[in-house]
Amino acid sequence: MNVIGLGLGLFSFFMIGFGFVWVIRGEYYLGYLWWPYPLLFGIILIIVSLFMSPIWSALLGITGASSIWGATEMKEQAVRADLGWFRRNPRPKPAPPLVEVIKKIPAPHL
Amino acid sequence: MLQLTGLWMAVATFLGIWWGHVGVRWLEAHSPNIRPPALILIVIGIALQIVSLFTPNLTLAGVASIVGITFLWDAFELYRQQKRVIQGHAPANPANPRHAAYLATPNSQAITDDLLEREPSDPTVQTASWQVARIKNQKSRARKI
Repeated sequence: MNVIGLGLGLFSFFMIGFGFVWVIRGEYYLGYLWWPYPLLFGIILIIVSLFMSPIWSALLGITGASSIWGATEMKEQAVRADLGWFRRNPRPKPAPPLVEVIKKIPAPHL
Repeated sequence: MLQLTGLWMAVATFLGIWWGHVGVRWLEAHSPNIRPPALILIVIGIALQIVSLFTPNLTLAGVASIVGITFLWDAFELYRQQKRVIQGHAPANPANPRHAAYLATPNSQAITDDLLEREPSDPTVQTASWQVARIKNQKSRARKI
């Protein structure tokens, strides 16, 4: 029996679960305009995974994909907070680097 | 040579999550009863875990398990999506008899509009509630001085 595959499935389960947490916290403290950074982080992890051993490659690939998904979820999370479905941080949030460029790009969502 | 295992895991994870969003919404909106699709998702999810256990190839085993795990999660999400429709957090489909019943219930919160289809407020701009809180703080500080 090969339990490594099952282990990778469980790892993806925890990474998706962790994604829910960091998206909520990230939107609360930083704001959804930071979305390109987890997206880039995820892409970099997947590129790095191409040069690692099979197990590390698998773990980085899963982490990278869940980070990309989190990036696509930040805008919807901001709308949910605006609608009062989640706690809304009324304080102004820090603008991400290249904020004016980011504002011109439609934030992706699933 | 490039190690493609991670790339395959990433594709499986992303497609699993994508289907978990788009597919679950569609299934919940079009199923008169969500129990049968939930059961099918659970059976496929468990079957994929068993396939993963008996697959010697790491990439195939990982992909099977990841997709299986997302299917199991989707079965649970079907019930959460149903709750969102009842609460008005997701649009109800009037053509679905189950959703039509939610809409017809007296004092129902269910709606047909998708409230998430809008742009969020600008997070870098001060909101009115933040400005009110700041003015109050300044006044209380001034009184102490």
